[in-house]
Amino acid sequence: MQIRVVEDNGVKVIALAGEIDMHTSPVLRKELMSLVQKKVTPLFVDFNEVSYIDSSGIATFVEGLKGMKSYGGTLKLVDIPERIMDIFSFAKLDKVFEIRGTLHDAHNG
Amino acid sequence: MTETAAITVPSDPRYLAVIRELTAAMAGAWGMSDAGKDDVKLAVDEACANVIKHAYRGDVSGRIVVKYFPGASFEVVIEDDGIKARPENIRGRDLDDVRPGGLGIHFIKRTFDVFKFDGRKKKGNRLRLVRHRRAEDADQGR
Repeated sequence: MQIRVVEDNGVKVIALAGEIDMHTSPVLRKELMSLVQKKVTPLFVDFNEVSYIDSSGIATFVEGLKGMKSYGGTLKLVDIPERIMDIFSFAKLDKVFEIRGTLHDAHNG
Repeated sequence: MTETAAITVPSDPRYLAVIRELTAAMAGAWGMSDAGKDDVKLAVDEACANVIKHAYRGDVSGRIVVKYFPGASFEVVIEDDGIKARPENIRGRDLDDVRPGGLGIHFIKRTFDVFKFDGRKKKGNRLRLVRHRRAEDADQGR
């Protein structure tokens, strides 16, 4: 998994690539929770280049969302590939997370 | 029944990617649909992650054996020498109760029709997972 934190029109974006699993999710958790501790909002996560996610990766995002809600923050998941979206839907998390098709969509609401 | 492939890896999360690769390759060779292949890859990954987490409690010096029996159904057997699982205590969280964790077992059970621990193994666990052929798999690669 590769992880980059970039800015897009003034918004912090975590851009992920590769596989998020039990081995790599602790790195993601560290990065995500450090932004949560700084009370960053809004925060976008770009899934465009993510090829795989398991339950440990999903748990990381649930934890991040809960942390952000504690200070009224907004977390948006962007450009999720279809197979990964299927996992979020099965876990009923498509109704919990704010999911947007593109970064442009995420900026616009 | 003779397995057609088997892999032994340390109980270290860095080897889960290796198990996923082989699982997807075996499912593909059996003729599973692309969606089924992804599901099986995730389910076997989750089962092996559970071995690391619960049977070995994070100790990376154990071993995990994964065996594949692609016959009329697609069968995977996962063995470890760790702490015995208590099947009666294995259940996922309510999907409406949104919190971290508790999803892996749901991913396994939605994918495999049989999820059964073999109680005859003296030390550790032997988990048998069987996925019957589904309509979308039919005639693919057979």
